[in-house]
Amino acid sequence: MKFHAPLAVLLSAMATCAWAQASSSSAINVTAVAMFLAFVLVTLGITYWAAGRTKTASDFYAAGGGISGFQNGLAIAGDYMSAASFLGIAGLVYTSGFDGLIYAIGFLVGWPIVLVLIAEPLRNLGKYTFADVASFRLQQKPIRILAASGSLVTVIFYLIAQMVGAGKLIELLFGLPYEAAVVIVGVLMTLYVTFGGMIATTWVQLIKAVLLLSGASLMAFLVMMQFGFSFENLFAEAVKVHTKANAIMAPGTLVSDPISAISLGIALMFGTAGLPHILMRFFTVKDAVQARRSVFYATGFIGYFYILTFIIGFGAIILLLKNPAYFTDGALIGGANMAAIHLSQALGGDILLGFISAVAFATILAVVSGLTLAGSSAISHDLYATLVLKGNRDEKKEIRASRIATVCLGVIAVLLGIVFEKQNVAFMVGLAFCVAASANFPILLLSMYWRKLTTRGAVMGGGLGLFTAVILVVIGPTVWVDAFGFEQAIFPYKYPAIFSVSAAFIGIWFFSITDKSASAAKEQAAFDAQFVRSQTGIGASEAAKH
Amino acid sequence: MHTDTIRQLPEYAALTRARKRIMWPLSLATILAYFALILTIAFNPSALGQPIGEGVTSIGMVLGLGVILFCMVVTGIYVYYANRVLEPLTRAIVNKAGAK
Repeated sequence: MKFHAPLAVLLSAMATCAWAQASSSSAINVTAVAMFLAFVLVTLGITYWAAGRTKTASDFYAAGGGISGFQNGLAIAGDYMSAASFLGIAGLVYTSGFDGLIYAIGFLVGWPIVLVLIAEPLRNLGKYTFADVASFRLQQKPIRILAASGSLVTVIFYLIAQMVGAGKLIELLFGLPYEAAVVIVGVLMTLYVTFGGMIATTWVQLIKAVLLLSGASLMAFLVMMQFGFSFENLFAEAVKVHTKANAIMAPGTLVSDPISAISLGIALMFGTAGLPHILMRFFTVKDAVQARRSVFYATGFIGYFYILTFIIGFGAIILLLKNPAYFTDGALIGGANMAAIHLSQALGGDILLGFISAVAFATILAVVSGLTLAGSSAISHDLYATLVLKGNRDEKKEIRASRIATVCLGVIAVLLGIVFEKQNVAFMVGLAFCVAASANFPILLLSMYWRKLTTRGAVMGGGLGLFTAVILVVIGPTVWVDAFGFEQAIFPYKYPAIFSVSAAFIGIWFFSITDKSASAAKEQAAFDAQFVRSQTGIGASEAAKH
Repeated sequence: MHTDTIRQLPEYAALTRARKRIMWPLSLATILAYFALILTIAFNPSALGQPIGEGVTSIGMVLGLGVILFCMVVTGIYVYYANRVLEPLTRAIVNKAGAK
């Protein structure tokens, strides 16, 4: 059953796609709409199937621990391969060549760190959220409040960026009004998460990951075919047609000063290890061995995907710049972020355009669902269960709270998506990574490896990191100047991670070592037992009931 | 079995030692590789723009794609080592802990 359902799903999706292709000769919209409707029908079917299997809290939050390492690796890659990274990086490569590669590398280098330092202890110590791990030997209440705040801030910024992107993309591709597009995305993601929990969210992510990897592979293949599968030929042709000529082979204006460069590097590298929707996926596998395997596959898929995106960006330079049909008044229709979409039309006509458009939409849906689930788990498992239920954990009440939280997050996401329609939201993903690196990652890492960590240190230092990150972004150039319209930024750097991450680590260190309370001594003494479990997994399996 | 007893096991000492031996070198290698590239981008961007041979392909492109492949190799090395070295030790500890 488990494996037949998705297979049937893929077959029916392909059949629908073939039907759409056969029945339409001219319409770009027919292929795209039919493909997209097929995706929605199939994923709603999966949600119905998943709803029947979602009985316990473990099913809802962690798919009952029944996801394999390979599947989880693909799902993690799916979470990571958002429309923002597919369209955004391809767009950045299209505009400035090498600079796009800087982002792609930054998004990838966090993964070896996640694998070597985080994945296995996380799986061994936690149950459903990373706050389980952070609060393992510390006081539940303050740590869970802080971890949930860090998670929610990360999730909401990420969600706004995705919602606005979704609205704009759908408006452009399907001709729907922006508000309607945002509402459709909000309703679908709420349905997936509320009824299907982690099981549905994971399968939606898996299907989308396969579709996106296939689509991007096909596009990159078609591009490389024109250049005899030689990067040198590809680059040479791009340099010839691009207005920046040879400059696209070197770093450009993306990072201009050393502080920004290092800051961006820190945020991207360590932010990955603090993204709540990614961390949550490690609880969907059976044990630490599968968690390890997940990261291996995820890194492979993500790295491969970024190489494809890079080729697609260069393909767009060559094939689009020569064709005035893709431009109005000298600018690419829909902006640089549409480079990959236009390229699909240049390569495979309306059929490939329809396919890639539908895949881009599916990608957004899958990513916002994962984010929403992570947000609602932080509310129900960390806040509601600790503050309202207190010690009396009750699975039924917790899942109900999670479902209510999902609906609320859905409404909030739609509203914020509409409010931020006209804003530049590109900085929000950067901010999400910065907060994840400055608050979630230091607490998580030190709770696993540093004996002297105390509740006071974690709360003060983690809070400091969270606060510094948000404030410095607000008074920095991206928000203060670009969004608020002031003349000059109070804080000169676009990326504050070097300051906020240092503030968090120094804060945690200082307030931990100066903590001489009796509870601090107890927390430090509990480290050895925690370390045994984090290293060996003894005690983990019965705790999670897998 | 109590955690203090587990901590006395020779296999436990071997496991934590073996883990440290792979954990820090691989993390540091990744961090160094990445920040070496980032710092070159910040301080000497034109060096990365130099063509690598006769053609247009620049040193930066090769290094950039190299870092992506490097990340994949690092995860491969870790998983290989973990399955070969860490896993038998962990299983031995779990067995002993279960037996007593």
